[in-house]
Amino acid sequence: MNQQTRTIADLDRMIHEPGRLMIVALLFAVDKSDFLYLQHETGMNKGTLSSHISRLEEAGYVEVVKTYRGKVPQTLLHLTGAGRKAFEQYRRKLKEAL
Amino acid sequence: MDQVGSLLDRPKLYYNIDGVGELGCGFMMQGFGMLTWLQAHSPKDAVWHQMYAVVIYVLVVLSIIHYGTKAIKNRITFSRTGFVEYRKKDALRVGIVAAFVSPLAAVGLVVAQRRHWDVTAWVALFGLLFAASYAYGIARAVRWKWVVVWAMTAASLAIAFLPASWFGALAADSWVTHPVRTKLVGAYLLSFLIYGAMLLISGGISFWLYLRHTQAPAQDGQ
Repeated sequence: MNQQTRTIADLDRMIHEPGRLMIVALLFAVDKSDFLYLQHETGMNKGTLSSHISRLEEAGYVEVVKTYRGKVPQTLLHLTGAGRKAFEQYRRKLKEAL
Repeated sequence: MDQVGSLLDRPKLYYNIDGVGELGCGFMMQGFGMLTWLQAHSPKDAVWHQMYAVVIYVLVVLSIIHYGTKAIKNRITFSRTGFVEYRKKDALRVGIVAAFVSPLAAVGLVVAQRRHWDVTAWVALFGLLFAASYAYGIARAVRWKWVVVWAMTAASLAIAFLPASWFGALAADSWVTHPVRTKLVGAYLLSFLIYGAMLLISGGISFWLYLRHTQAPAQDGQ
């Protein structure tokens, strides 16, 4: 296996999946956002988005806080320190591989 | 990688999804342009020449922008297309850049004045830079906004070729013209009013389109 192939094989699969990559990249650029924003930007339906977010939460990359905006329930999400580090590493490796 | 880069840019472009960014900037430019206009076209003892009145005016303009933006975002945008809280680091970076650019621009103006350069060229350059930053910050996300970029560019070039007597008439007795030449103040006043009007129109159209094409989703918990 050459160096480039090894780098590709080493990519974080939790982030490499296109849906989760979109979520992590969008969250990386902000402090926090809500579920609706991610749904609007990614074009995913609620079920798919929830499932990706759950996996990212399990991996410790995303923190989810359920709250209220006035009387309306709101789900706030932000990338944890581990999530930021993992995304930076992922970008670096992807650059090396391409 | 480019796609990842464009995803990272999406939240910044989202700020103006409802046109509120442009409306705020346009209102500020119109507000400051209007203040200079009032100072230039009112008697020397008018309230517009008092420092306290200027401070109150600026505070009122900035408050309207701050609270108006907040109200629109809270009541309309966040419930339709979602809430975003931007990183404080990014705001700090903008502040640092502004802190470096402003003194540089001021030094440039002083040098231009002392050496008697043709200041309209500076104003046109400012306009072209403004059009370029608008193209990068806003127009690359919304294709029809390129019309605004070309209009700004055309206005900047037109200002460069206008006769000097026009600018003098625009800012004849402004208190700002004591330290700075009338022509320069007039040219900036005209630029602020033109760019401000363009941003207000463009922002207004975006806001109308946003209201027309987005609806708040049914609330069944997110």
